[in-house]
Amino acid sequence: MTDAPHKMSARGVSVFYGDKQAVKDVSIDIDMDKVTAFIGPSGCGKSTFLRTLNRMNDTISSARVTGEIMLDGEDIYASAMDVVQLRARVGMVFQKPNPFPKSIYENVAYGPRIHGLAPSRADLDAIVERSLKRAGLWEEVKDRLQDSGTALSGGQQQRLCIARAIAVDPEVILMDEPASALDPIATAKIEELIHELRGRYAIAIVTHNMQQAARVSQRTAFFHLGTLVEYGETDQIFTTPREERTKDYITGRYG
Amino acid sequence: MSSSLIPQLPTGPKEPADRAPTDWKTQAMQKRIRRRYARERRFRLFGLAAVILSAAFLAFLLVTMVANGWRGFTRTDVTLPIDFPVTGMLVERAQLDTRGADLALAGAGLENAVKGAASTAFGAGGEDFISENAWLRVREAIKRDPSILDRKVSIEVPASTEIDQALGGKGTPEAEAAVARLQQAGAITRRFNADFLHESDSTDPVAVGIWGALKGSLLTMTVTFLIAFPVGVLSAIYLEEYAPKNRWTDLIEVSINNLAAVPSIIFGLLGLAVFLGSWSLFGWRFGPLLPRSAALVGGLTLALMIMPVIVIASRNAIKAVPPSIRDAALGIGASPIQVVFHHVLPLAMPGILTGTIIGMARALGETAPLLLIGMRAFIVTPPGGFTDPATVLPVQIFLWSDEVSRGFIEKTSAAIIVLLVFLLAMNGLAIYLRNKFETRW
Repeated sequence: MTDAPHKMSARGVSVFYGDKQAVKDVSIDIDMDKVTAFIGPSGCGKSTFLRTLNRMNDTISSARVTGEIMLDGEDIYASAMDVVQLRARVGMVFQKPNPFPKSIYENVAYGPRIHGLAPSRADLDAIVERSLKRAGLWEEVKDRLQDSGTALSGGQQQRLCIARAIAVDPEVILMDEPASALDPIATAKIEELIHELRGRYAIAIVTHNMQQAARVSQRTAFFHLGTLVEYGETDQIFTTPREERTKDYITGRYG
Repeated sequence: MSSSLIPQLPTGPKEPADRAPTDWKTQAMQKRIRRRYARERRFRLFGLAAVILSAAFLAFLLVTMVANGWRGFTRTDVTLPIDFPVTGMLVERAQLDTRGADLALAGAGLENAVKGAASTAFGAGGEDFISENAWLRVREAIKRDPSILDRKVSIEVPASTEIDQALGGKGTPEAEAAVARLQQAGAITRRFNADFLHESDSTDPVAVGIWGALKGSLLTMTVTFLIAFPVGVLSAIYLEEYAPKNRWTDLIEVSINNLAAVPSIIFGLLGLAVFLGSWSLFGWRFGPLLPRSAALVGGLTLALMIMPVIVIASRNAIKAVPPSIRDAALGIGASPIQVVFHHVLPLAMPGILTGTIIGMARALGETAPLLLIGMRAFIVTPPGGFTDPATVLPVQIFLWSDEVSRGFIEKTSAAIIVLLVFLLAMNGLAIYLRNKFETRW
């Protein structure tokens, strides 16, 4: 880690959808002990950029990525990089809670099972319990692990999705507006969870909610029209932004 | 920070002058509301009428089928007394235990002996009371117990078509008189005809059975399912999940949709040309690659026919799986094939099965393409395998409905009942599987 101080680093990343350029020349670092928040108005490219970090954009046939994204000093777009392994190392939580229509246990156990992380049933049970505990869901569901994951409330479903991501023991967790579909109490729980997960995982979070970015992140990147306008410590961005556009956005003047 | 950046509140167009509050109680308004309710009621009545009409058609169909068909499941037996020593048949007893027993009995003139016994028992013309195949029943009885050749016995043999029809009140006056005589003598019985369920086609309506056609249908459907289901579902998965969206895949999509609309007889011609035609390739000539009239060829032809239906239904079912599930699986590092087989396919399975069963039901009822590949042959032994000559239920119905003998009318209805029961069983299985795979969200 001394050679590559950053967990992930993006250099000059551009994303094209066909002819349209959605992300323009973005350079950002993601570190282990810091939560990085991506903010910006809708359609500014922050979600698109987030999805390049574990190559979820590969599923869109017209998407093309240029530039360089390193994970522990390895180029994730190199031909030697195995996408399946990359996504196990860089997990993702989506905007809308999307548990599999299976039992709570199966939801969490699925990842470890397909990656062969649990040699025995007891190991798998242990992984499921640990993941649900870290996601702060264990106490609520420990007596009904065989119930359907889709029967949980929205906030519980989202924490189940976080537990599912944690279960494969990723190094980085990407969160795409994880609380935007939740009520304020569930949102607070997710934010609390992000606090607790910091340090164990490198976390990048896309959010529309300025207060949320200020609360959960240590670093903030402001995107506008596909460009990275400003990137720095969260305290600095929210108190003394260097760019006029950043200031206008966080004070609610446009966006 | 200039104040010009503060967004201005939108100022809409000027409000028009206040208008008078709507009066919902006026005559015109009330009439309008009444008309709206009347329209609602009328629409509901039309819907109800349509449902009742179709239910009535269905009930009519079922009632006529069962009314005509139940006699097809029964048979009329005549009790025939035979005094074997009197017939003067000479049979080597030793031969009756060997494979040559049938030949020995035929050679000894058993057929004529049975006819003679009928004339003796029922008077002149008595041999017309019993079926032409009656002596076969006698043969079986002798084989079971050769000692009856030494004494006088009574054996129940199938009645002739005339007697059978006369008992149902549809015979000629002479036959009805004969039936009355037989009934007086207590020599006529009517019973459930188990033979109908395990015999095959015959020229004699009292001797026909449905088993040959039923087995042919089973074998054909097996081939159809084994080919059409995997190929159709895999095509759908490839087209939905893997294929790039370009002009070629568009062309394939249009072609599949068109194929689904092609009349079935064209598929019969295709099957004839592809599976049974003779080929000439690089100067070598090949004879027909597959046997004619076989369940294998019928199944392949029907598979071609229903594949487009399965592909279209499967694609729609796969398309209906929410993309968020794919994202979720990909996001924790599932490979595309794991995404398909662990998540997409199980969720799409109910829709795929529904499409498959619609296709299979269509294939089960299909006649035209099978006529073209030779499955309309007269087949008296049930097919032993996929390559044996076979016929199927709808073709059997078609063939029997064409027969002149009156006895075939009720046999045709009985065969239709068997076909419908087969169809219902298939649909029942599909509904069971669909409910089993259905995921509650």
